Amino acid sequence: MNVLQTDGLGRRYRTNWALRDCTLTIPEGNLVALVGPNGAGKSTLLNLVVGLTSPTAGGVTVLGGQPAGSRAALDGIAFVAQDMPLYRHYSVADMVHQTRNLNLSFDTAYARRRITELGIDGKRKAGKLSGGQQAQLALTLALARHPRLLVLDEPTARLDPLARHDFMATVMTAMADDGVSVLLSSHMLAELERVADYLVLISHGRVRVDDTVENLLDRHRLVTAPTTAPAPDGDWQIIEARTTPSQTHLLVRLDSSQAPLPPGCESRPVGIEELTLAYLRETPASQSPTLIGATQ
Amino acid sequence: MTPVAVPTMHVRPVSWTRLSWVSWRRARATLAAIAAVLAVIAFYLVLNGERMRSTYATHLACTPVHSASCQFAWENFRNGYSQPGLPGVILLFLPGIIGGFVGAPILARELETGTFRYAWTQGAGRMRWAIAAIVPGAVGVAVIMAGFGALVTWHNKPLLDSGITPRLHPTVFPVTGLAVAGWALVGFALGVLAGLLWRRVLPALATALAAWFGLALLAAQIRMHYLPPLTTTSLDLSGKNFGIDQWWTKSGVRVSDAAINAVLQAIGFQQPGGSGKITVNPGKADPSVDPVQYLIQHGYTQVTSYQPDSRYWTFQWIELGWLTALALALLAAAFWFLRRRPA
Repeated sequence: MNVLQTDGLGRRYRTNWALRDCTLTIPEGNLVALVGPNGAGKSTLLNLVVGLTSPTAGGVTVLGGQPAGSRAALDGIAFVAQDMPLYRHYSVADMVHQTRNLNLSFDTAYARRRITELGIDGKRKAGKLSGGQQAQLALTLALARHPRLLVLDEPTARLDPLARHDFMATVMTAMADDGVSVLLSSHMLAELERVADYLVLISHGRVRVDDTVENLLDRHRLVTAPTTAPAPDGDWQIIEARTTPSQTHLLVRLDSSQAPLPPGCESRPVGIEELTLAYLRETPASQSPTLIGATQ
Repeated sequence: MTPVAVPTMHVRPVSWTRLSWVSWRRARATLAAIAAVLAVIAFYLVLNGERMRSTYATHLACTPVHSASCQFAWENFRNGYSQPGLPGVILLFLPGIIGGFVGAPILARELETGTFRYAWTQGAGRMRWAIAAIVPGAVGVAVIMAGFGALVTWHNKPLLDSGITPRLHPTVFPVTGLAVAGWALVGFALGVLAGLLWRRVLPALATALAAWFGLALLAAQIRMHYLPPLTTTSLDLSGKNFGIDQWWTKSGVRVSDAAINAVLQAIGFQQPGGSGKITVNPGKADPSVDPVQYLIQHGYTQVTSYQPDSRYWTFQWIELGWLTALALALLAAAFWFLRRRPA
């Protein structure tokens, strides 16, 4: 089953396309990291997935073909929005009770157990909790619904490192216990390196990278070449090039991994963080990566 | 890569029983605030109503009717209670204030604080959530304000019985009977819609109140034309009826105010434009002459157009009818925008 499938999905606000030509197929069971610069269209994509926004173009289905925003989709998706919106004047117990009453199924026992484990007093007002506790409460309310897809919009952006670690640990536990798929937008590249197994990179409203982390690491290399080296043959695409007086550092994509390295070049595997950074640094002008042969 | 068409999975909706707790939890603080405000005003109305009744009873019980002390009792009642004053002004605005206060935050606060991202992505979905929040709110303000209108009716009874303030008077009509519920409902609907468009509580409330006030001014203009006014040539129209206009005729033909003025000025009186009232020009008039009787003796007939007190409930139903239709249209627009509006 594909937890998310989009086809030419676009969303325009007045004259500005926040997201355009987005075509994705994401199988279930993954922790999908959605990365991209601010204003790249990440939140727009997430809002489309959870049904808060409707598409201007194309279509989006979730949970194996359910239209986004349909009753079946809403029932199976839990969303934790940016800044953890909670009713500030509600007690923690009221938030739990309300979420139970807004859903067909809700695991009250799980929610209560989690809240006790977190050391949160059920009588406290949600707005009086620490940032980490608010995040954990919002996550607990989402997970107690036992969703099939958990959507998190920059959940750890405002958290301190410890709270961030605890938050992601809760997510990972839920993935292991419940088999929930996770779609998560984040700027925390180092953190994603540890947890994500699928990467979607959006820049300027368009999907730039969309693959499993395994495949991506397999297909990208950091190449250090002497500036005098001849152009390599084969299907090498430069994502990023940085030149020092003696050497050129290239982040390249191998479309067929058999392509031989030119003499004098060294190649090493690349990490998710540097790979993502390379794609993020791309300017809109060079949106189609240039073949190395064409630059020299 | 085209998404495969899959038959939409049928999931039963979240029950209204469950949603009713959600609505109750969000409404209870508002309800408490309204109860506190209305309790203060109700306390004043009961107190003032009782005092007014005892003063009116003193006047009714007084004999002989034309004695100076009885005249004093009447003046005491009339001067003490005929002017609605500040409480009357507050009453007049109350349906709009209560309606707007309940309606405006329903969508605006969710949008302002961002909690709509939580509320509208739960299994119930945003439309069901909105129905559960809006419908009880609408019914609630209408019922509460109808009850409040009944209290105002009770309070005003001596003023009506004595013919001082008719029920059709613009300061009484919209805060009593059925119309008061309609006015609260329109205030509520304006608040809900403004909240969705503004996405912030305070501007939404201000907009709703301004629109409500404009509508109230308009209604005051058109209300007396719900049915064609009756006319009478009687000089002794009961104070329970609501007089609209007065003019003079001669041989069945309307006489212009200027012509009447000319007649009156000849004997030292004048009639300021159109009001039907006749005032004395100091020093010029013969005090033994009654100008109205003078005109009647000279073949003129005074005609008064009015709405009879008996039409009160008919007018109440008419006003409730169009206000309810308007409120439903506003709420329908709100639901329409809510379904389509990107969050």
